[in-house]
Amino acid sequence: MSSLTTTDTPTRTGLGMPFIIVGAIVLVLVCLFPFAWMALSSVKTLGELYTVPPIWWPASPTWENYRTVLFESNIPRYFLNSVIISVGSTGLALILAIFASYGFARFNFRGKSWLQSFVLIGQLLPTAAIIVPLFITLRVLGLVNTFWGLILVYMIITLPLSVWMLTSYFKAIPVELEEAAIIDGASRLGVLFRITLPLSLPGIVAVLVYAFVTTWNEFIFALCFATDSSVKTLPIGLAEFSTEFNTDWGAVMAASVVMTVPIAILFFSMQKLFVGGLTAGATKG
Amino acid sequence: MVRQSTGLLFVLPALVVLAMLIAYPVFYTGLLSVTDQQGAFVGTNNFAAVLGARATPQAFWNTLWWVGGSIVFQVILGVATAVLLNQNFPGRGIVRSVTLIPWVIPGIVAATTWAWMFHTEFGIINYMMTAPGLIEAPIGWLSNRDTVLPVMIAINVWKLFPFVAIMVLAGLQSIPNDLYEAARVDGANFWHEVWHIMLPQVRPVIVAVTLLLVIWGLNSITIIYAITRGGPANLTLITPIQIFRLAFESFQFNQAAALSVIFFAVTIVVVFIYIRYLASSPAEAK
Repeated sequence: MSSLTTTDTPTRTGLGMPFIIVGAIVLVLVCLFPFAWMALSSVKTLGELYTVPPIWWPASPTWENYRTVLFESNIPRYFLNSVIISVGSTGLALILAIFASYGFARFNFRGKSWLQSFVLIGQLLPTAAIIVPLFITLRVLGLVNTFWGLILVYMIITLPLSVWMLTSYFKAIPVELEEAAIIDGASRLGVLFRITLPLSLPGIVAVLVYAFVTTWNEFIFALCFATDSSVKTLPIGLAEFSTEFNTDWGAVMAASVVMTVPIAILFFSMQKLFVGGLTAGATKG
Repeated sequence: MVRQSTGLLFVLPALVVLAMLIAYPVFYTGLLSVTDQQGAFVGTNNFAAVLGARATPQAFWNTLWWVGGSIVFQVILGVATAVLLNQNFPGRGIVRSVTLIPWVIPGIVAATTWAWMFHTEFGIINYMMTAPGLIEAPIGWLSNRDTVLPVMIAINVWKLFPFVAIMVLAGLQSIPNDLYEAARVDGANFWHEVWHIMLPQVRPVIVAVTLLLVIWGLNSITIIYAITRGGPANLTLITPIQIFRLAFESFQFNQAAALSVIFFAVTIVVVFIYIRYLASSPAEAK
């Protein structure tokens, strides 16, 4: 314990190993079990779903529930709608955020700090409080039950944090790099697209993942502004599924799996970048 | 060095979109709340109608329980998880990834999955509790007046404690090792370190994350709406769902706007008090 025996690897007076192992196992079970139960339930037959006591492991796994979801329900259509809306709003948010963040990170102008806090307020806004006027506005513009309506409205929830994250990324890039390029005759936009953006790729990815996941999962706006099945998104479809099928739980679980897979793939393939980008703001700011 | 207008030009498109989608609706909500459906000024009639409805105070208390109860457990469990994940143990990377799963899963998927697990007859939770004799008979978790709101809170806690955990974990990882070594020289054990080093050092992170949780809690409608639609008997009705119902089920847009204004004002007061008294107070525990 004396300071003379300090080694390179920092030793900590940690929790005892038994504590850690028990804690870790409980944690993994709590986090993973509902997910596992969802996947297991999705391949059970009706008989296996509705028995007491419940069957842990399906004796004869069936794809019947997935067949119901994929061929006899509106879920594929809703899936496509969700993809269109999420990709559209993610793209739009990214474009707007890139320019706005660059403006905030590299220029000084009157009212900048005021405008920056206005952008952040969007993140603090209780969205339920503005569904009524938003609905009326969209109705006047003829955007209720259109892809554009939802894509636009999703700017409220994706744009503020995207601008905030990208601004801190742009600020971290040495301004000398850009000045050198400008001396060499590059334009402002040239600098932005050839130097700043490639250097802030992790930030861009973090924004993309964040915006996509948020819009993919969004519920309340979709519930209010997309009531026609031609534009309904997956979360609403899933919420309706229970009534539409008189709660066929096997099919509901299969639909849940279908909805989770794209998010899981996206998130875990980009996890390092995303978590890094998200937490950077928390610890630096 | 550069013209003032260049910077403004860059931020303008985003600002126009946000002004159109945030500033205008906020203003318009105020206008709607003091007019009737024909647009005539009616003073505080809408407010009186909304405040007089029996559901309003119930939704208010439910919202308070929902947000408060969720946050307390989200923060406690999240910090405990972060401390655990900050330890050195084999397989830590995998456990960290697995911890993120509840947060990554779409809210609606979490809602349907937990609703199935809490199913009275065929739910796994009743089975797991009746089999070892924890409870005598299956409980109707989602229809019993004493359990339905706590169950909603539990699901919400499960969904969001991982977010607290990764944010706090990032804070823990940035604590300089000198602090631990100094404490160790003074003979501190693990719990001393948690109490006197880790918690004071991550306090700013916890304060910021809690603010986010307050706002998310006030916004969240997915879990409750998908499982109970606010029922049974308004036991899980929270104000956002009440606004939605007023507007899109009763088509009382003006009353819904009045309720929105009240909701908005309360939120701003809560956030303001929070920032004023918690976020700005110095770290006294040193």
